[in-house]
Amino acid sequence: MDKLLQPDPGLMIWTIITFLCLLAILKKFAWGPLLGAIDEREYRLKEERLAAEKARSEAERIQKELEEKLAGVHAQSRELLAAAAKDGESLRAKLKAQAEADAQAIKEKTAAELAAEKNRLVAELRGHVADLSVQAAERLIRKSMDAGVQKAVLDGFFKDLETTKAGRN
Amino acid sequence: MNFEHVLAHHLIDEKLFHLTIAHVSLGSTVIPVDLGLSPLILSMWGAALLLTAFLTFAARSRSEAGRVARGMVEPVLLYLRDENIVPIFGGHSEQFTPFFLTVFFFILACNLFGLVPFTEGTTSNIAVTAAMATCTLVMIVAVGIREQGFLGYFKHLVPSGVPWWLYWLLFLIELLVLVAKCFALCIRLFANMLAGHIASLTFIFLIFILSQTSHSLGAGSAPAAVGLALFSYLLDVLIAFLQAYIFMILSAVFVGMSVHPH
Repeated sequence: MDKLLQPDPGLMIWTIITFLCLLAILKKFAWGPLLGAIDEREYRLKEERLAAEKARSEAERIQKELEEKLAGVHAQSRELLAAAAKDGESLRAKLKAQAEADAQAIKEKTAAELAAEKNRLVAELRGHVADLSVQAAERLIRKSMDAGVQKAVLDGFFKDLETTKAGRN
Repeated sequence: MNFEHVLAHHLIDEKLFHLTIAHVSLGSTVIPVDLGLSPLILSMWGAALLLTAFLTFAARSRSEAGRVARGMVEPVLLYLRDENIVPIFGGHSEQFTPFFLTVFFFILACNLFGLVPFTEGTTSNIAVTAAMATCTLVMIVAVGIREQGFLGYFKHLVPSGVPWWLYWLLFLIELLVLVAKCFALCIRLFANMLAGHIASLTFIFLIFILSQTSHSLGAGSAPAAVGLALFSYLLDVLIAFLQAYIFMILSAVFVGMSVHPH
């Protein structure tokens, strides 16, 4: 049984040779491909995760950008609306003022025309009245004296005046 | 029936032929360096061949069976590499991984192959475990010298700040520790695997010892003895994995200590 605890040098040499051969063979044919496949898979998973994270951050960035743009558009449209309302208001006020001015001008022009017509008519009437007065005075002088005559003369004068007026109209 | 003879027959390796190339003399005893083949060497080669075939198949085959084999090997590789070797070696782990994976799988294959009937328990021979421990020792010193330089390695064996008169004492002690660590590796694996074989044999042998007293006692004890032997055999399967792992992780820790001395 002493032999059990006595190492055999030949066996040790064979063991070391076997182990070294196994190390070389397994390194080339087993560990390389196996660990390579594991590493490649891990690398791929990592890459995919990184790509997914990148895509997500990109999407978030784009969303934020779009939201900012949208807010800008909202603000711009509000400004435009306000400006348009202001423009409309000012245009309305301008048009109103112009219309009022036009109306005033028309009113003034009409009044002036009316006044001129009135003056012309008054002048014309005055002329006619003067003529008729002269004619009445002539008749009065011509037919003279008594009240009856005088009355007849005045009646005749007014009758003439009526007819003249009716005739002009 | 002599128990010692039976044990010796089962556990001691006899050469099939002799091929002595030299003699080593240790004191008064002269040990021949005999490269002759023996059943144990053939068993070891059988285990190594099976291991190579299985791992190569797992690595290369694209068939369904290859996928299953890969599924069996990959978790073990990942566990050994990512949970054991990488934490010890950090950035250097790439170059050490093949060595320690081979240590683990070679010892595991030898352990398990030794449990198959009609094969030899390779790792229950002290020469085999001594050879593996020697590989670890060479690795420790070689890596230490490569990482820190020849003088640097031996200088760092002793912690810095030690007075000069204590330095040489500590240096000798540390050298002894270095060898003792590997010696412990060798004995641990050898004793564990040998104990498994001896336990199984002892339980079976119980039948014959008892039957020498009385045949009926021997026959009556047979079921219990066989049951116990089977239990011990199952325990051996567990120990086969455990000891392979312990040998590998301790080797890795020792080599790691010479990569990072502090």
